[in-house]
Amino acid sequence: MSTPSLTLAPAPPSEAAEQVRAEVRRFLAEELAAGSFTTHVDTWLSGVDPAFSRKLGERGWLGMTWPSRYGGHERTAMERYAVTEELLAAGAPVAAHWIADRQSGPNLLRYGTEAQKATILPRIAAGECYIVIGMSEPDSGSDLASIRTRAARNGDGDWVVNGAKIWTSNAHASHYAITLVRTSPADPSNRHAGLSQLLIDLSTPGITVNPIRILDGGHHFNEVVFTDVVVPADMLLGTEGDGWHQVTAELAFERSGPERFLSTYPLLAEFARRVADSGDPAGVAVLGRLSARLLALRQLSLRIAAALDRGELPNLAAALVKDVGTTFEADVIDEIRRVVEVPASLDSPDPLGRALAEAQLHAPGYTLRGGTNEILRGIVARGLGLR
Amino acid sequence: MSDQDLVVETVRDILAAHEPFVLTPSRPWDGALWTALAEAGLTGVGLPEEAGGSGGELADAVAVVATLAAGAAAVPVAEQLLVAGPALVTAGLDLPDPAEPLSFAIADGVTAEPSDDGDGPGAFVLQGVSADVAWSGVARRVAVLVQGPPRIGGSVLVLVDAARVAAAPGTNLAGEPTGSLDLDGVSAPGALLTEAQAAVLRARFALARAVQISAALQQVLAWTVQYAGEREQFGRPLGRFQAIQMELAEMAGEVTAVAAIVDAAVQALGRGDDVVLAAAAAKVRAGAAVEVVARLAHQVHGAIGFTQEHKLHHLTRRLWSWRDEAGSELHWSRVLGAGLLAAGPDALWPTLTRVV
Repeated sequence: MSTPSLTLAPAPPSEAAEQVRAEVRRFLAEELAAGSFTTHVDTWLSGVDPAFSRKLGERGWLGMTWPSRYGGHERTAMERYAVTEELLAAGAPVAAHWIADRQSGPNLLRYGTEAQKATILPRIAAGECYIVIGMSEPDSGSDLASIRTRAARNGDGDWVVNGAKIWTSNAHASHYAITLVRTSPADPSNRHAGLSQLLIDLSTPGITVNPIRILDGGHHFNEVVFTDVVVPADMLLGTEGDGWHQVTAELAFERSGPERFLSTYPLLAEFARRVADSGDPAGVAVLGRLSARLLALRQLSLRIAAALDRGELPNLAAALVKDVGTTFEADVIDEIRRVVEVPASLDSPDPLGRALAEAQLHAPGYTLRGGTNEILRGIVARGLGLR
Repeated sequence: MSDQDLVVETVRDILAAHEPFVLTPSRPWDGALWTALAEAGLTGVGLPEEAGGSGGELADAVAVVATLAAGAAAVPVAEQLLVAGPALVTAGLDLPDPAEPLSFAIADGVTAEPSDDGDGPGAFVLQGVSADVAWSGVARRVAVLVQGPPRIGGSVLVLVDAARVAAAPGTNLAGEPTGSLDLDGVSAPGALLTEAQAAVLRARFALARAVQISAALQQVLAWTVQYAGEREQFGRPLGRFQAIQMELAEMAGEVTAVAAIVDAAVQALGRGDDVVLAAAAAKVRAGAAVEVVARLAHQVHGAIGFTQEHKLHHLTRRLWSWRDEAGSELHWSRVLGAGLLAAGPDALWPTLTRVV
């Protein structure tokens, strides 16, 4: 009857997760009261605050699932899930460390050399080392097999990198870029062959970081240009030529977390305050309808976290969360707009007007980052046995 | 094989001998299927043996209901196993013989006055008409949630003997009987419920429909994927077209999201948690998915799926009915929205993380 590849076992209740959730909630209330941050929409892209990231590191809320010998805390994916969703719901500034904690760390744990792990992972867990994803290129979009940035060995066996990456979030505020490069010529009969991942220190000579501003004027994206950049031989990540496989595994981590449906949660929370004040029945119904969707996504995402704890890699369900979740993030804006008369403006005196503006101007990104939703639906279709 | 798998296997075997059929005024339900289920003890699953049921867990009852929903079975099993049966047991009323079909209705316009002064369950005289009673004319008895006596307030759960009540027939979109019962002057055994008990009972009904919707959605997706793999157009299977793949993937996303929230709400009910908001979320989310999944399933099936010859409508018509029944999406959206705001707007997030 059912489609087994899509079905996930329920997440068992976790007392440890509820305990850390309460701790994070208390911390966030204190930080908000002290004015150390203000709530914003989509802060896992735009809320860069190294001081805040270090505070999270001090409290043991980064690198939570990693081995303690690398600075990790050997906690469960469910506990990490509770921490991440509390931070997102509060609209806290988490962008500095987000990518490093979410996917670069797990990627290094899987494929890194002992030296790479020992040097970098403890600094990520401390909230002091930030890493960007160097995957997409000016002409590649979601088609990563088409990338052209090249790395060739010099006489010393080191890599010399030439090319450009684009849409690299926060490269201007980060320490490393895990960069997908072509290490052997393109092979038309096997488009995914000949790619490798390099761990590139962004302070290396020959790297230029050019800002790309998004619709609200914010600087999060960059173009990173590599001109004869020398990367030591020991900074190859994983196996030469295996980059495609490594990137695919990495994307599974990237797609299933609560950031895929909570980017606009601070807007929903602001809307709830408005509805509580006005008592508008249409608003109450919209709050209920959106919350039902959010609760379903949360259950799905929790199930994936539980599957990760069991050592599974639920790629297909992860793609579904990203597709359904990011569609929801944008729908939050549309549904709320239909029942309130509040013009969206970044300098609105009304916090709901500001939240609407932030959410709207960031909205085109939700269904693009981490693979466009069309690409994700292709993955789901393959899982359904259609291709 | 677990007990639950065994139950599901038994239901499937029985279903296999009873292909779905088009309901007509002269054939309003699948009585033969009911008899086969009752003989196997499946119409009492999850109801305590001391009350005359077959025993087993809530999860077993849900599995029976889900399997029959996916099989488009025209029998009042969801009402009996998940709503009326447990409600009667909880209220201390006698459970009718599970071999006789039992339904459930909410009749906010009907009032009940006690006709004796005993404590606990007693006799009530009813006033008013109960509209939209599922399986009216089929069910031998109907458990009806009505308004309590004005001076006491609250609600009363009464057990009405349908054979002694005038009924006006009607049908839902699936052609299943859904009529009204004239309860004016009818005397019935009943029990007072607290407001909280009545709210949970309404939530149980909504969750029962959500369980049915979730199971039917999964089956509709499976049928549609299968059809897209077999049906050829322009020299290749429909499923090879990217546009069709996008539609099927969208359906899969909806179906999977519904399954997650419905399962979570069922587990909350099994744990004995306050299930009202969880059931509300499940019903609203399931109803929203019906819109997308039924539309796309018919689109992919093309004209043949629009006919009574093809099996698709056995589930899509039920989906369209079930989303309206036991409280619409609007009703449960309001319940959920108001419930989430009850502790104050700044408590929205803590409340959301407690719902399931």
